[in-house]
Amino acid sequence: MRDLIRPDTFVGLRLPSDAIQVVRVVPNTSISIGKYGSFYANHIIGRPYHLTFEVLDKSDTSPAQSGLRIVSASELYADLRDGEASTPSESNDLGVAEGNSGVEYELVGEDGEVVLRTNRAIIDDSSTQTMTMAQIEALKAECTGSGRDLIQKILGSHIALDQKTAFALAKYTLRKTKKYLRSFTVLPVDVPLLAHWILTDKEPIKIMELREETLALMGSLLNLHCTAIHSEPNGHGSGIGSGRWLLIDETSGLLAASTAEKIGVLNQPKALVPSIVNDEHEQANSDADDTATASHSIAQPFKPPRIHSSSSLAYLNTITVIHANSQPNLSLLKYFEFDHANPSPSHPLCRHLKTLSWLQLLAPEDDLAYTEPDTFPNETIQSWKSGRRGNYYRKRRRWERIKSIVDETRAGGFDGLMIATGMDLATVLHHTVPLLRGGAQVVIYSPTVEPLVEISDYYSLGRRTAFITDPPEPGSMPTEDFPLDPTLLLAATIHTVKCRPWQVLPGRTHPLMTGRGSSEGYIFTATRVLPAEGKIEARGNFKRRRVNDGNGSRGSEIVEQTLEPIGRELGEGDGTNIS
Amino acid sequence: MATDSLPPSAPPRTSPFLTPGSHSSASSLSILHLRRDQHTPVILQPSSSPSDGYIEGPVTNTRFGSFPHSTLINQPWGSQIRASEVDTGSRGRKGWEGKGKKRKRGSDEIADEVRPETEEEVEGTRKAIKTSATGFVHILSPTPELWTSSLPHRTQVVYTPDYSYILHRLRARPGSVIIEAGAGSGSFTHAAARAVFDGYPALSIQDEGIQTNASAEPALPGKQNGKVYSFEFHEQRCTALQSEIKDHGLEGIVELTHRDVCTEGFTISNSPPIHASAIFLDLPAPWLALKHLTRRIRRKSLDPSANPEPTTPLTPNPVLHPSLPIHICTFSPCIEQVTRTISTLRSHGWLDISMVELSAKKIETRRERVGLQEEGLRGVNASAANVEEAVERLREVEGRTRWFHEMEARKEKEQEQERDGAEAKKDGEPDDMVKGEMEKENDTVNGKEKEKYTSKASRLASIASRLPTRKLYKEGRLVHRPEPELKMHTSYLVFAIFPREWSDEDEKEAERVWGGREAADRRGGVEEGGELGGSGGGRKEEKRMSKRQRRKEAKRRKDADGGKVEVDGEKTDVESRGN
Ligand SMILES: C[S@@+](CC[C@H](N)C(=O)[O-])C[C@H]1O[C@@H](n2cnc3c(N)ncnc32)[C@H](O)[C@@H]1O
Repeated sequence: MRDLIRPDTFVGLRLPSDAIQVVRVVPNTSISIGKYGSFYANHIIGRPYHLTFEVLDKSDTSPAQSGLRIVSASELYADLRDGEASTPSESNDLGVAEGNSGVEYELVGEDGEVVLRTNRAIIDDSSTQTMTMAQIEALKAECTGSGRDLIQKILGSHIALDQKTAFALAKYTLRKTKKYLRSFTVLPVDVPLLAHWILTDKEPIKIMELREETLALMGSLLNLHCTAIHSEPNGHGSGIGSGRWLLIDETSGLLAASTAEKIGVLNQPKALVPSIVNDEHEQANSDADDTATASHSIAQPFKPPRIHSSSSLAYLNTITVIHANSQPNLSLLKYFEFDHANPSPSHPLCRHLKTLSWLQLLAPEDDLAYTEPDTFPNETIQSWKSGRRGNYYRKRRRWERIKSIVDETRAGGFDGLMIATGMDLATVLHHTVPLLRGGAQVVIYSPTVEPLVEISDYYSLGRRTAFITDPPEPGSMPTEDFPLDPTLLLAATIHTVKCRPWQVLPGRTHPLMTGRGSSEGYIFTATRVLPAEGKIEARGNFKRRRVNDGNGSRGSEIVEQTLEPIGRELGEGDGTNIS
Repeated sequence: MATDSLPPSAPPRTSPFLTPGSHSSASSLSILHLRRDQHTPVILQPSSSPSDGYIEGPVTNTRFGSFPHSTLINQPWGSQIRASEVDTGSRGRKGWEGKGKKRKRGSDEIADEVRPETEEEVEGTRKAIKTSATGFVHILSPTPELWTSSLPHRTQVVYTPDYSYILHRLRARPGSVIIEAGAGSGSFTHAAARAVFDGYPALSIQDEGIQTNASAEPALPGKQNGKVYSFEFHEQRCTALQSEIKDHGLEGIVELTHRDVCTEGFTISNSPPIHASAIFLDLPAPWLALKHLTRRIRRKSLDPSANPEPTTPLTPNPVLHPSLPIHICTFSPCIEQVTRTISTLRSHGWLDISMVELSAKKIETRRERVGLQEEGLRGVNASAANVEEAVERLREVEGRTRWFHEMEARKEKEQEQERDGAEAKKDGEPDDMVKGEMEKENDTVNGKEKEKYTSKASRLASIASRLPTRKLYKEGRLVHRPEPELKMHTSYLVFAIFPREWSDEDEKEAERVWGGREAADRRGGVEEGGELGGSGGGRKEEKRMSKRQRRKEAKRRKDADGGKVEVDGEKTDVESRGN
């Protein structure tokens, strides 16, 4: 929910240093923002996001906590608006403290003009409270580093000015300094914020150094989108549902969260004030889109008393995560109130997120969890103590859920496959590409380009031609020459994208001087196709004529198609035409 | 380029972009993949529709052959489809509507050919379509990416890396409402529609009782579906896009308005408020449109000629979502546009203004083969693979030169001797022996020595004969590099946020509900009525706090403090405030 800050949710606090701090807003607690002070959670709960708050000073009367003040937009831009009309050369004169992020736009001029202009800004601001010299001194004592230097400079170097102006300027500077040093902006925690925060402030390795712009592009290339109930299910009534996305996610759940956000199952609708949730009602509603699940789920010998519907799995808009360890690492989902080990039944991910291990996918019989627990006649169960009975039902529900996930995944027909893993991609693709429907997109992220180059080569035009001309024995795949079936993916392409941020201040517009290096981030994409059976010829249309495909000017060209006679030289820049 | 210029059929109920189903279908858009980066969008026509005179029914011609739509309809997406033998000579006979130049060519060619006349005969012909060896296509379900790469360009368009990042930053998600101006060629429009789609609004009315909101949670009552409000002031572009929207089944999701947004703004009369939370402006002068995107506006008088009274009260702008933060992005190629836009954004109170530039590229991979074994092969630079090979070749050349020189020298010697011999003949016969020796020597050179230095022709021949058995796709070094054409600059992306409106009254109310500064003060031991820090307004508010609210507040604190606070001796529940 993005309208108001709700109790007990995670929020992002953007600090004066531009660093992000993610905290949970627990009512009646104090939130510390390090050297910038602390504030009382209730002072931001129920307020809108994206506001900037200034931490007020502790007063004698409230020693424990300090208050907050909302900083208005006009206040935030007070200095900039002044400078708006100034030419670049003029602004260069304004003693800008270089390389000092907090205070670099202070109007600390050596000439009287600037001071007066600054003064005007103060007078215009009606919210300013009058301050005593004592207060200024107190604040000065509190300020550290460049902030204090500035104040010293102002109070010290402007002896020529009359007392009032110097005082006003100092006051102004103090307020601004304080604003820069002791303010924060509250941001909603969503996938963009989380990605930005982990990459820049937390542990980039946790998300494989996945950049925001890369993540955004991956979503498009995967054709990730919400699927409405009225869509035809995949596979012509096979009953496996639609809007199904297959993930190999070693980004601690960032891919899963991003997928969930883009298909609309990430956030739990929440009331501003926690209300007594009408569980039955909510359950009934959220099951509405899943009536199909019940009909094809495993027949249940008993209708167990429903504790919660963890066993009911969604039919539309689902995410299936295959993991290499016995449990998936989706820890980032906690920022969206979802704990994979102990899911809240009212969270959409509880039913829309399905996880299974590679063992469960490839050899389910070898996994105990896939083995059906013993069944007992109803009377026997009734005779049990409630503890044992509960245990029995829990075990069965767990098994039903796993069996349903495993069977459904093995049935294939997924709408897209997204991968971010350190594992050998050829082995991953060997087992997952066949699970995709025709036309589905494959999107693989890698922090470095090499693994993707290797995969592209397995789908190269030359290799595909060789494969078609002399296919390996059925069942012998993967072979040394063909680690992957090159006929299953079309138009393998590697993309990379990079965002370059600019500083945009009046008269001082330029790209940022430094940025994050190390991983560039690359994306491999390809389309799952269904090769026609039998021999395919493609000699192109050699008769020169205008073609009628609406391709206008390009129509008369003659281009040989992707499948070329073996032995044809594959150089000349089209070694990449693995389309 | 353009879709087939056949008469549009009944608009599809659903969009092949959003809910493509598993198979291609008649009257719906498909994308024919010809080869890498060459796509042809086609609206598949049922056989019964006018067919430009093809006896096979409607046909799409490509450089890889002709594809009767009957061979394309009802195919699983991703299928590889062979070209068919299409008798272009039959054009002009059946259902020939005649369209400009096509008619001319058609009538030239057909002349007196006799063609089946009856329906059955026509059907029979259609069934007997023979595959052709000219090539194949893959049939893909349309995606915004495929559309962007194949749409008819009427303007500059926003490409995939940019629109992905923009939609990500704008928080366009299932259920969001986004405004876009100008629509131009509709590239961004399609991507935006995919991002916000969460169900077909028309269907939700039709199938009442079924949950149409595709996400897990039922749509809140009165909540509208995700929607794109698109504006374009160029009439032809507007008309063209409108028909694409219809053909693509996006009518309920994209609402296109013919309008100059800079002068007339975004309000759509006689329709519910737009309530957008995301705005994308791809206009030459986006700053001119910003005045219509303020939180409050003066309502225009009904008489459009009358100037709005300056005294008319400001009312909430129905274009913007009243409670969500508004995210905006403007897209401008020039830095001057950026500067003006940002200055206007600031003056209207937009926050968090930032500007970035994206650079994206595709990366080619290829096998780079170097070595003398490549001599004479197309597109390969046949230079020595290593020093040894170079030396070997040098030796060979050296040897051949020496052999050549020796031969020359010998020839000279021969001639000399012949001359000498002629003279010597007169002197007797001893020269026969010399001659024989020389011949012997010559034989050795020709047979053994010369064999070592094979001729270029035979070397090339042996390279060519070895070629079919080589696995070129595995040879050489696997390398990668950017594609030949790079987009160095698309546009600058300016982002800003408008938080929800927050009045003093709102703040007071929030303070009352959640406890403002006072609550914190009380935690510090100061009770109601005590000396309070902060603003006086809050204190009055505190006194006005109803008994019920005080109880609630106390209860909250009690929970937090482990039940230390006693509240009027009554036990209270945390109630839902219902707001
Ligand atoms: C660069 S194009 C937009 C391309 C589009 N974003 C796309 O991805 O295809 C800009 C469009 O804005 C339209 N336009 C310019 N000024 C406008 C205005 N004041 N109101 C509405 N449309 C306008 C132009 O006619 C043009 O089609």
